[in-house]
Amino acid sequence: MNNTMGIILAENQEIRLNELTDVRSVAALPFGGRYRLIDFILSNMVNSGIINVGLTTMFNYSSLMDHVGSGTPWDLNRKTYGLFFLPPYIRRSSNNSGITGGSVDLLYGVLTHLRRSPQKHVLIAGGNLVCNMTFDGAMEFHRQNEADVTVIYTNLSENPEQLKRTTVYELDAENRVIGIEHNPRNPKTPYSSMDMYILERTLLIDMIEEAYAKGSHDFIKDVLLTNLSSLKIYAYEHKGFVGRVDNIKSYYENSMLMLDDAIRKEIFSGPNPIYTKVKDQVPTRYGESASVSDSLIADGCRIDGTVENSIIFRGVNVGKGSVVRNSIVMQNTIIDQNCDLESVVIDKECTLRPLKRLIGQPNYPIILPKRTMI
Amino acid sequence: MMSTDCVAMILAGGQGSRLGVLTTTVAKPAVPFGGKYRIIDFALSNCVHSGIDTVGVLTQYQPLELNTYIGSGNPWDLNRNSGGVYVLPPYQKAESGEWYKGTANAIYQNMEFIDKFNPKYVLILSGDHIYKMNYSKMISFHEEKGADATIAVIEVPWEEASRFGIMTADENGKIVEFAEKPAEPKSNLASMGVYVFSWPVLKRYLSMDEGNPNSSNDFGKNIIPNMLGNGEALYAYGFEGYWKDVGTVQSLWEANMDIIANPPAFEIDDKDWKIFSRNPVKPPHYMAKGSKVTDSAITEGCEIYGDIRHSILFEGVTVGRGAVVEDSILFPGVVIGDNCVINKAIIGNDTVISNSCTIGDQTIADDPHKNKYCSAGISLIGGGLIISEGHKFGPEAMIKESI
Repeated sequence: MNNTMGIILAENQEIRLNELTDVRSVAALPFGGRYRLIDFILSNMVNSGIINVGLTTMFNYSSLMDHVGSGTPWDLNRKTYGLFFLPPYIRRSSNNSGITGGSVDLLYGVLTHLRRSPQKHVLIAGGNLVCNMTFDGAMEFHRQNEADVTVIYTNLSENPEQLKRTTVYELDAENRVIGIEHNPRNPKTPYSSMDMYILERTLLIDMIEEAYAKGSHDFIKDVLLTNLSSLKIYAYEHKGFVGRVDNIKSYYENSMLMLDDAIRKEIFSGPNPIYTKVKDQVPTRYGESASVSDSLIADGCRIDGTVENSIIFRGVNVGKGSVVRNSIVMQNTIIDQNCDLESVVIDKECTLRPLKRLIGQPNYPIILPKRTMI
Repeated sequence: MMSTDCVAMILAGGQGSRLGVLTTTVAKPAVPFGGKYRIIDFALSNCVHSGIDTVGVLTQYQPLELNTYIGSGNPWDLNRNSGGVYVLPPYQKAESGEWYKGTANAIYQNMEFIDKFNPKYVLILSGDHIYKMNYSKMISFHEEKGADATIAVIEVPWEEASRFGIMTADENGKIVEFAEKPAEPKSNLASMGVYVFSWPVLKRYLSMDEGNPNSSNDFGKNIIPNMLGNGEALYAYGFEGYWKDVGTVQSLWEANMDIIANPPAFEIDDKDWKIFSRNPVKPPHYMAKGSKVTDSAITEGCEIYGDIRHSILFEGVTVGRGAVVEDSILFPGVVIGDNCVINKAIIGNDTVISNSCTIGDQTIADDPHKNKYCSAGISLIGGGLIISEGHKFGPEAMIKESI
């Protein structure tokens, strides 16, 4: 796989998680107690032997930059290749700032990087999927089919609601793509795109230049769909767990799925680790009145209250007499004594003074924006 | 402080035989401590926070684990272009080659290494103490006093003073007498094994000591008494705070328990003085339905189905359903089977205790595994062992082999 380079499109304009993504790109969304969504695709690429990884983004990318840094946690701080942070491409001479937002625009902005890289293939991926996979199988499939483009998909028959918010492929018996629908009202198949594409680098450069010249913006609709008959586009199925974060509800549900023994083990305890930024936090301390059940607790916490069925990030305090149920509490939030929280997503560095009560619903959790003080 | 002002040398070659089975394959400084650290992390982190970025780690006994752990030094920000951390094992020279004969000889054999940096001062540290200390204050003190050597001292209870190297100092802090483990101590200022030397002076004494075939080439036994005898300016630098030599099973257990005391006798959580370590790549720990945990410290990658009381669990520990772990320290990767009872034990890396075993069973008075290194009811289980189902051991047992 070291003849393949990776491009991660860290921003996806169709995905908004209200207050949670107001302050950060989707890929920088905290997940699973100590990770950010970007960690999954970055680790998957590195675990596949990809050592040239470009990261494009558009808005509010400081938290993403801060998180990935020079790429050390993923072993991407290298003399040759490594991690390339590719901020939005803004031309001085034109009013067109480049922030029109489509995937073609993002890729056009990184053409120089694509031209300079020597790798034969490119793997393009988004930054909002929770999965643990390598790309060796897809790459082999791409070669065997002598495909122009290989797209990776997952069977989403168990989540028809979310299926409608994805790109769906229609396939022939050989898994060649014969139809593409974006956000279909009535999906013809459950083959949901994982927004991952493998193709030759030179082909990608040609496609992007052509699409940009025609004023196109979207890689799926304007490039893949319009060239469906002229290109050999094949689809490779990924069979493992895929958690797609595309709105608050799916963020909450996929977070809670990490409490499932089998899914958690597949994602975190397999042969390929998920890497993330290290914070050198102390182990979590439990006091004499602590009571915790069915929860993931990161390091650096101080737990004196009750935590049930929740995800607690690094450096969180849960005071005596407080109860946290079915909730996600992000880094460095302080929950004082005797609070009662249920189905709440609390962003980083919030403070809840004593005796606060917040009750959301599992399908409609309450969101506390970053640094809220109640 | 400029990096070349001071080079730190950490003595990390000792076996630490009193830690029994915990140090059969690793040197004492590499022994896990406090839930996610190794003992040497404290000295290394102290150096970095004190502005010392040139550190030599002297290894000899079972260095493999320590070498791998230190690696390029990046967990401590010691992967520098100039300076950084260097692992210094004994090496073969053109004429001869020998093991480090003593603490002073270890520094003597690395004089060329220190000279490369041309430092004013050399800081000598032990790799087996638990404490947080700002060495730069001690170096300033050394400069102010115009000392040739400064020795960090801590007040110890009078009744324990005869276990330490005891300093007697005048009102200016100048050392007038030094006694190694005196039967009748004249002071309760104990040497912490932390020394600042003016490098040219130390060099002279190291060479002199090397020429004496009867010397045991030790700082406490030879260098310090020689310097004192020759009237060099030796000062005692008083340190206040937590400091613990974790040389025995009991002191190692106690120092760990100090972290989870309420309030903690030793607080590691300090954002201005973080203790750095090589962090595992593991998810947050999972507390299952029906699990219970009180008065404990637990870190990443643990999966807890049982009941944890007043214990410290390192990364990736699994505790099965119905199991009770109390007053214990479980090293990385330990697996405790269902319905086990673990009472006052230290269990080495990756050891598997199968279902329904009991460690520290009070009803067994004279366990044949009872060992002289174990005291205060503490049991010791080696690393990499498999204890098969239903075994019971009495207190103070030391297990070296799979059973």
